[in-house]
Amino acid sequence: MKLSEQAVFRWVLIVGVAAASIIALTLLTRPLAGALWGLVLVCAAAWHGCRWVARKRREP
Amino acid sequence: MESATVALGHAEEHDHHGPPEAHESSRIDRQTLGILLFIVSEIMLFGAFFASYFFLRVVVSPESWPPDPYELPVAVAGINTAILVSSSFTIHYALESIRRGNHTGLKVGLVLTWMLGAAFLFIQVNEYVHIGFSARDLGFGSIFYSLTGLHGAHVFVGLMLLSFATIRAFRGHFGPAAKDHLGVEVPGIYWHFVDVMWIIVYVTVYIL
Repeated sequence: MKLSEQAVFRWVLIVGVAAASIIALTLLTRPLAGALWGLVLVCAAAWHGCRWVARKRREP
Repeated sequence: MESATVALGHAEEHDHHGPPEAHESSRIDRQTLGILLFIVSEIMLFGAFFASYFFLRVVVSPESWPPDPYELPVAVAGINTAILVSSSFTIHYALESIRRGNHTGLKVGLVLTWMLGAAFLFIQVNEYVHIGFSARDLGFGSIFYSLTGLHGAHVFVGLMLLSFATIRAFRGHFGPAAKDHLGVEVPGIYWHFVDVMWIIVYVTVYIL
């Protein structure tokens, strides 16, 4: 893992885009829809994180 | 002869003063590892506050949220969010500048970031003054001020770190090599964390 400001800035952009989609969905529909979409995004991020850790463990 | 060599070796050992060099990972430097561990502990702290927020909102479950007659200034907080997100871009610009050896860009980026962070805090304090409820008004008021106040305290700490980095930048302490601008890189990582945390607080408290 290479942790640097550049890597963290990429995360700011990803979280920003995800939050923008939640805000848009909430304002267009209702808060419950936004909350569910947020939950889907959190689950997707957790799944992606687990896969990333598993891949790193397999690396020599 | 052998005893002379041993004696010389001991003399060399005694020339080195202070504790031995710390072991260091080849993947991550000590300062970056330190801020990473600190951020992990901060995520747990915010997690506890979010747990309280969702307990009050979902388990205690008042009839409406925010409870009548309170209203949250969503638009003002949205502008504040835009200000804080912008400050992540300016700190990133500052770091990209010093990586290319552009000292002027570093100074401009740091000063802009500081000003945006100060503007965020000023607007938040102004929001507290005009919001119409206090931390003593129901669990809603308590958790609102706790969550946003906790974040505001983090912005304040970030501003202190940025102040030191800015002063050092104007004194010419930083250089393009990675080890020569850790004094900006580490506050930069912390500032991005504060920014991400505000995006989550804003979406949770003001939007949903």
